[in-house]
Amino acid sequence: MSDAPSHAPEKSILPSWVKGPQDFVGGIALMAIAAFALWASSDLQGMHGFSFGAGTAPRMFGILLLGLGAGVTFVGIFTEGEALQKFHWRGPVFVILAIASFALCIRPMGMVFSAMSSFMIAALGSAETRWLETAIVGACLTTFCALLFPYALGLPLQMWPAFLIR
Amino acid sequence: MGDLFSNLGLGFATVFQFVQWTPSFLGGMSIPLPMNILLCLVGALVGTLVGVLPGIGTIATVAMLLPITFGLPPVGALIMLAGIYYGAQYGGSTTSILVNIPGEAGSVVTALDGFQMAKQGRAGPALAIAAIGSFFAGCVATVLIALLGAPLTKLALAFGPAEYFSLMVLGLIFAVVLAKGSVLKAIAMIVFGLLLSMVGSDIETGASRMSFNIPELADGLGFATVAMGLFGFAEIIRNLDTGSEEDRQLVQNKVTGLMPTKKDLKDSSMPILRGTVLGSILGILPGGGAVIASFAAYTLEKKLAKDPKRFGRGAIEGVAAPESANNAAAQTSFIPLLTLGIPPNAVMALMVGAMTIHGIVPGPQVMQKQPDLVWGMIASMWVGNLMLLIINLPMVGIWVRLLRVPYRLMFPSIVVFCSIGIYSVNNAPMDVMLAGIFGLVGYWLIKHDFEPAPLLLGMVLGPLMEENLRRALLISRGDATVFFTRPLSASLMAISAFLLILALLPALRKKRDEVFVESES
Repeated sequence: MSDAPSHAPEKSILPSWVKGPQDFVGGIALMAIAAFALWASSDLQGMHGFSFGAGTAPRMFGILLLGLGAGVTFVGIFTEGEALQKFHWRGPVFVILAIASFALCIRPMGMVFSAMSSFMIAALGSAETRWLETAIVGACLTTFCALLFPYALGLPLQMWPAFLIR
Repeated sequence: MGDLFSNLGLGFATVFQFVQWTPSFLGGMSIPLPMNILLCLVGALVGTLVGVLPGIGTIATVAMLLPITFGLPPVGALIMLAGIYYGAQYGGSTTSILVNIPGEAGSVVTALDGFQMAKQGRAGPALAIAAIGSFFAGCVATVLIALLGAPLTKLALAFGPAEYFSLMVLGLIFAVVLAKGSVLKAIAMIVFGLLLSMVGSDIETGASRMSFNIPELADGLGFATVAMGLFGFAEIIRNLDTGSEEDRQLVQNKVTGLMPTKKDLKDSSMPILRGTVLGSILGILPGGGAVIASFAAYTLEKKLAKDPKRFGRGAIEGVAAPESANNAAAQTSFIPLLTLGIPPNAVMALMVGAMTIHGIVPGPQVMQKQPDLVWGMIASMWVGNLMLLIINLPMVGIWVRLLRVPYRLMFPSIVVFCSIGIYSVNNAPMDVMLAGIFGLVGYWLIKHDFEPAPLLLGMVLGPLMEENLRRALLISRGDATVFFTRPLSASLMAISAFLLILALLPALRKKRDEVFVESES
C-alpha cells in the first residue's frame, strides 16, 4: 500500500508487547465474528442421536473460527508484523452513502433518478472530482443503463418515479 | 478416442448453433443468428473492456458482469461467462503491460517484464506474445479438458459423501497452500466463508439460521451479492485510497509495431510451451489456479535462463511464460468444476453461483444429463481464445485509450453499474445494502492483509460440505472415523494433512514465500 510510510510507531494505540498490530487486531475481530455466530446460532437444535441438527455445523465452524482467530492473534503478539494501515474515510463513506441512497431510492424513485443521484454522491468520494464533467458522464451512464438493462438484457426495471407513473 | 471426437463434435455443434431471431421491427421476418458465438464474442469483448480498467481484477470483473448473463438461456449464459473470464484475464495483462497496475495477483508477474518492454517501446510485441501464448495454452488446455473430462466423471460417480467431503477438504487445503500470504489467515477466511454460507434456512430441517428474522436473509446471503461487495465495491474503495492520478504512469507513446520479430517468437516458443505444461498441471489441482501458475512459470524461466539478469529488464520470456501458464491454469481449473462439481478457485466459485442461479448443480450428473452444456462450454473456450487473438490485437489502440479514463469518473460509474446489477438479480433493495456492507468488510479485510478469495470459495463450498458431512455421518451411524477408514477418503485426507504440514514447515514455508517474493524483487 502506498500509505505505508505514514505510520509512526509512537502513534500506535496498542500496548507495546504487540509486535504485529495488523494480525493482532485482525485476529481479535475474527474471534468477535465467531463469538457472534455462536451466539446467533445458540437457539438452534444441536445433535440428536448421530444426525446433525440445524445448529451443529454453525457451532462447529464457529468454534473452529474462534480457534483460528486466537491463532492469528497469537501470531500478532509474538511475531514481528505489519503496523496497522491507515484507514481513509472519504472514499468509503461516500461510496457507501451512494450505495445506500440507491437502495433507498430505487423502489420509490425509479432507476433513472437513483442512478444519477448515487453517481453524484459517489463522485464526492474523490477530491479530484470536477462537477460539470461528472454530471455529463453521470447522465451518459444513466442513459446507457436505462437502455442496457431493460432493453438489451430484458430485465424489468422501473425507470421513473412511482408517483409520476400512477 | 472416438468418444473424444464425438463429444467435441457435440460441443462445436452447440457453439455454432443457429437460432432464429425474430425481432419485432422486421415485421415477422426471422434471421438465423449464431447466438452462442455472438454471446461468446460479446462476453470476451465486455470482459476485456472491464478487465482493462486499472485496478479491477478478473474476479471483480466476472462478479460485476454476472447479472448481465442472468436473462439468457443456461448454455448461452455459461458460454458468455466463460468468454468474460478470458476477456477479463486478457484485459488484466494488457493493463499490467501498459500501465504497470496489475488488476490481480496473477498478472503481477506479467507487469515485471511487460511494463519494462512497454517502456522500451516494445509494448506491441509484449501484448502480441501475451495473446499468442494465451491462445496456444488455451488450445492445449481445451484438448486436456476434453480428454480428462469423461474419465474423471466416471471416477466422481464412485464417490460417496465421505469421499466428497474429503475431496473438498483437500481442495480447500490446496487453495490455502497455493495461495499467497499466511496459511493460518487463509484458513480463517475459508471458515468465515463457511459460516456465512450457513446464514439462511437449513437444507434438511428448514430451520432458519442466523437470519435474525430479516426476511431477505431467510434465503441465505446471495452469492452474487457477497461477491460483488467483496470484490467490486471493496476494490473501488481501496483504489480510492491510493487515489492520486500520478502513480498511473501510462505509456504515453503510441503502441506501434504490433508484430513480434522472428527472434521474439523464437525466444518465447519454449517458455510458452513450458508455461503451458506447468499451468495445465497446476490448474487441475483442486485449489490450484492461475496465480501460482504464473509465479511458478516466471521463477522457472528465470532459473533456466542463461542470463537471469535480463529478467525484470524487459525479457520477453518473462511475459510469454507466465501469460501462457496463467491461461492454461485458468482453463484447466474448469476440470474439477465440470467433473466433480467442486470449484477450485474464486472465479470457478462464481461460475457455480451462476450455474445455481440457472438451476444447474455442477457435478458429474451434469456431464451425463446435459452434455450439450458441458461440451458446448468446452468448445466455446477454444472459440473464445481464438476470438481474443483476432479481436484484441487490432483493438489494442482502443484499450489504450480506455486506460486514460480518469479514475474519478470510473469509480462512480462502477458503483452505479454494480448497484443496478445487484438490484436486478432479485429486485431487492436489501441486496444492494448487503453488498455495500460486504464492500466495507472486504475493505477491512484488505487492510488487515486477509485474502477475500478463500472466503468466497468457503462460501460456495459451505452447503456442499455440510450436506456431505451430514450424510456421511448419518450413513456411518455417527462414526467420524469413516473419513479415515474408507480407502479413497483416507488417502485424500492423508494428502491434505501432508500438504498442510508441508506448508507449515518453516523450511518449505520459506521456499513458498521465495517463489512469490523472488519474482517481485
